[in-house]
Amino acid sequence: MKFSFFHLMPWTDLTEAPARWPVNNSGFDPERGKQLYDGYIDTMAFAEQCGFDWVGCNEHHFSPYGLMANCNLIGAVLAQRTKKVRLAMLGNLIPLLNPIRVAEEYAMLDVLSGGRLIAGMIRGVPHEYIAYNVVPDESRGRLREAAALIVKAWTEPEPFGWEGEFYQYPSVSIWPRPLQRPHPPILMSASNEESAEFAGMQRAMMAMTLIADLKVARRCIDAYRASARAHGLEPTPDHIVLGYNSLIAETDEQARHYLGEGQRYFHRILMQPIRDAQRLVIQKSRFFGESHGQHGEGFVNRLSMLKERTISDMIEAGSVLCGNPETVLRQMRRVRDELGNGHFILNMKIGNIPDDVVRRSMELFRDHVLPEARRL
Amino acid sequence: MTDILFTKHTVALDSGLVTYLKGGEGRPILHLHSAGGPRVSPAIRMLAGRHAFYMPATPGFNATAEHPTVRTMVDLAELAAKFARAVIGGPCDVIAESFGGWQALWLAVRHPDLVGQLVLQAPAGLRTEGSGGLPADPVERMRKLYALPERAPKETRTPEVLAENQRQRDRYVGGISLDKALEAALPGLKARTLIVFGTADEVVPIDCARRLTAGIPHAHLSYIWGAAHVPEWDQPDRVARLIGAFLEHGEAFVVRRPGGT
Repeated sequence: MKFSFFHLMPWTDLTEAPARWPVNNSGFDPERGKQLYDGYIDTMAFAEQCGFDWVGCNEHHFSPYGLMANCNLIGAVLAQRTKKVRLAMLGNLIPLLNPIRVAEEYAMLDVLSGGRLIAGMIRGVPHEYIAYNVVPDESRGRLREAAALIVKAWTEPEPFGWEGEFYQYPSVSIWPRPLQRPHPPILMSASNEESAEFAGMQRAMMAMTLIADLKVARRCIDAYRASARAHGLEPTPDHIVLGYNSLIAETDEQARHYLGEGQRYFHRILMQPIRDAQRLVIQKSRFFGESHGQHGEGFVNRLSMLKERTISDMIEAGSVLCGNPETVLRQMRRVRDELGNGHFILNMKIGNIPDDVVRRSMELFRDHVLPEARRL
Repeated sequence: MTDILFTKHTVALDSGLVTYLKGGEGRPILHLHSAGGPRVSPAIRMLAGRHAFYMPATPGFNATAEHPTVRTMVDLAELAAKFARAVIGGPCDVIAESFGGWQALWLAVRHPDLVGQLVLQAPAGLRTEGSGGLPADPVERMRKLYALPERAPKETRTPEVLAENQRQRDRYVGGISLDKALEAALPGLKARTLIVFGTADEVVPIDCARRLTAGIPHAHLSYIWGAAHVPEWDQPDRVARLIGAFLEHGEAFVVRRPGGT
């Protein structure tokens, strides 16, 4: 079993839920922001010492729930602060971005880090399409084309032009090219069956987060496996990457307390205004394509369900990893047995969980979970 | 799309009669067809708003008569040169697809004075043995040719004509897929060349494009997203936009202009 330490870089100082999205930024204190960035980067670098295989981060816009508008900047810092851990950008929201710029920045990160990049190519959540003014209905088409163009930019040995539906670049030849050959490993989201099929078609690793129901997750993983096989990849457990909100403490009670408080802050304060924007996009576009009704409803229901559930409900449903080391090991075994994954992404800084609690959780992972969990 | 009339003509050359289609207005273009035979694609119709297209049928294709002295791809290139001089009246730009690309390359090598700018769409003739090619099974064949088979032209020719087209193609090609003499001659090619490949082309492998860009002094490779071996039919808008800009602006086609290309 492999493990990643993931960080969302949340803003921790809100006392009440912002009224609307985008969140008014007058409450952002840059001095406090500097403190948070410094602390978060220290924590992420510490993940290497705790035996994590990857350290990961991602991209969000116009919101205090994630302070990484461009996670590649954090990746560049981590390339200097770490030696061996792989840098997982989970990822760039490629339908919103200039794919050539993504190819270049990812190639830079791969070279800077000595070939440690995991290249996430993610569609993103609905409200990001308002932030960057991209037609949500085009999200899947843009994802498909941008992913193909990025791989071409990485692998093509001669300058080339690209005439596409969404992207036209008459002359491309990026410097640098990535260090990993033929290109860095690609990871794509598989949070619904359509996305899972696409990830398989791309022969990418698949990732799922915010799992609300193990049976639904199983269907997505089955869809991924079938699609990957149909496109020439026999997926191994390493290809199946599951993201979990996690907290390990000395006792189950402590872990439940901190994760419960952190999730409350995350869902009721940080995420509150985003739900309205997401609802708007889902109602007024076809973000989920052909199966928009079914998947749009599923997406909204999943978020609502996670918001309303107690920690006990979540543990029971297999939605979080929470408890003392033995409890967490037991929970990991259950997920592995039911879903067949070979990789857990652990997100421990949920909402405003104090940083020293997160660090302690990482140490307990290193000392009491990892030695056993490696053999899962 | 402009509704431009293409009319059928015949010219007598010293080796025999050549049938051709003509349509459009503007700077002349010699269009050399694929092994599918001459067909006016949606991309050609779009480009014909600014260019006069001359589209000769290779002798023996589409129930036309063979020319006994025209037997090889080099012979076909010589015939194309005679056609350009006799019908177009001299130099022109050349657009060629697949089998026609092989002829066009020899034409540009042997008659640099006749070829202005050259556009090659998945040109044949540089394929290593055993790579790419078309399967015999008709369903699999369609899948390899078209990324979007629903955009393929409706077939109106008889099975006999199609079989004869295939026999003629085999006769000219003479059983070779990699024309080593042509490959050796590429560095002498003078024309500015645009090489166009569909991102899903499995018929002519992409290493052929790399052989061309490595050999031709002024070559530029462009991919058409969402196209297989026949980009003119799979993605006519993208092909017309790209080729139109190249023909109009030459090497400066890479500079974006207000309102589009």
